[in-house]
Amino acid sequence: MRYSATLLEHFMRPRNAGLMQHPDAVGEGEYDGCGDLARFFLRVREGCASEVRFQTYGCGPTIAAASAASELACGRAVDALARLEAGEIEAALDGLPEDRKHAADVVADAVRAAARDYLKRRPHDV
Amino acid sequence: MSRRVYLDHNASTPVHPEVVAAMLPYFGEVYGNPSSVHAFGREAREALDVAREQLATFLRVRPDEVVFLSGGTEADNFSVKGLALARDRGHVITSRIEHHAVLRSCQWLESRGYDVTYVPVDASGMVDPDDVRRAIRPDTIAVTIMHANSEVGTIQPIADIGAITRERGVALHVDAVQTFGKLPIDVHGWGIDVLSCSSHKIYGPKGVAAAWVRKGTKMVATQHGGEHERRRRAGTENVPGIVGFGKAIAIRGRDMAEEGVRVTALRDRLWRGLQDRVPEVRLNGHPVHRLPGTANVAFRNVESESIVLGLDLRGIGVSAGSACTSGSVEPSYVLVAMGVPLDWAMGAVRHSLGRTTTAEDIDYVLDCTEPLVRKLREASPVSVG
Repeated sequence: MRYSATLLEHFMRPRNAGLMQHPDAVGEGEYDGCGDLARFFLRVREGCASEVRFQTYGCGPTIAAASAASELACGRAVDALARLEAGEIEAALDGLPEDRKHAADVVADAVRAAARDYLKRRPHDV
Repeated sequence: MSRRVYLDHNASTPVHPEVVAAMLPYFGEVYGNPSSVHAFGREAREALDVAREQLATFLRVRPDEVVFLSGGTEADNFSVKGLALARDRGHVITSRIEHHAVLRSCQWLESRGYDVTYVPVDASGMVDPDDVRRAIRPDTIAVTIMHANSEVGTIQPIADIGAITRERGVALHVDAVQTFGKLPIDVHGWGIDVLSCSSHKIYGPKGVAAAWVRKGTKMVATQHGGEHERRRRAGTENVPGIVGFGKAIAIRGRDMAEEGVRVTALRDRLWRGLQDRVPEVRLNGHPVHRLPGTANVAFRNVESESIVLGLDLRGIGVSAGSACTSGSVEPSYVLVAMGVPLDWAMGAVRHSLGRTTTAEDIDYVLDCTEPLVRKLREASPVSVG
């Protein structure tokens, strides 16, 4: 099997998949070469992501990466999420094949975009 | 996970137990080189003669018109290049949905100065014989059209195309890799001059194929060496493989008609079930003129690779219509040529059934597909409905 057991488990039972009503922030990542799309929703309490949900269109690794990233992001400071690296998502999946590295890239882009979306709005929230 | 369902018979098939039994003596007891003059070689030669006769009987052709080769790709290369290179220059006609073995052979011919016309197909994947007629030029050497497409299963009007090529004096090559042993083929009535067929699509071993070449057809060999296969293809014949191929052909002659009816019913059960249970599905390929076991179904706004992976994790083997390679997704060139919209083409999944497929298998696939597609759509930002 070319995918890790962790990746397959996330793919089969994705955590936090689906739309969020009235999120505090939304961000998208898209991979042009492939058409993969990820959208992350954040609910923020005291500067930390208290709830994370996502939607993805893409191959299995992208769905799994989004699921893993949603777990990583939950509870983490939004400032830190704005700097989330694709490598951390890949590590949480116990690796990605070379031709599927974009799965972590597109998801990391979406998480960072959601965090930036929140940080941009923050002055109006407080 | 215990249940396993293989619905990828257009890619390859399990070797029939009778074929395995027929091959076994040729790995140990009979091992001579069929070109050798001694008894060891003659025993191997006799085995080749039997297989050649089995293929010739099935196609109703002469045994000396059969050339054994190493696989469908070689058979297509042998045929397309062999026909074209018999002349210094000229023109070849093919379709946009041929197997890569034909398409890339044609592209190679173009790089050598030959002209190639790629005729289109309609929305069902069917070639219009009139397009072939219009494409024929005074310097046209050959027309090469597949009997049925491996992805969508559409069966081409070979008899109509053959009537045109025969009338115009142009050679007709038919890639019958997907139909040989599954559907009746009338090489004489349809005006075929060269036909490619393969063993592992019909429960024979991999690495064996054949071309039938009508006597008198102008061709050149593309592989050089010894005097094998009447100087048409150099290289010691794969005796166990060819024995297995011959046995597989004989079995197809016995089982093909009955199995075709059974597999068609299962294919239709699958498509009806998907229509009933999964929203936004469409069948790619001709609704009637289609391979008995092939159902290429597109799930709109779902990526086919995620369906293939999800079904794989439930023990089901199907294949994707699009391929994500090195971060770039290419929709199937066949579906693109048919004009299938991208949001459908990206979600195309080919189910190809075979001799061991059962109604229970189909019901299991339906039970697994519906929740999988629903879950993928629920998590998709481009979901339908």
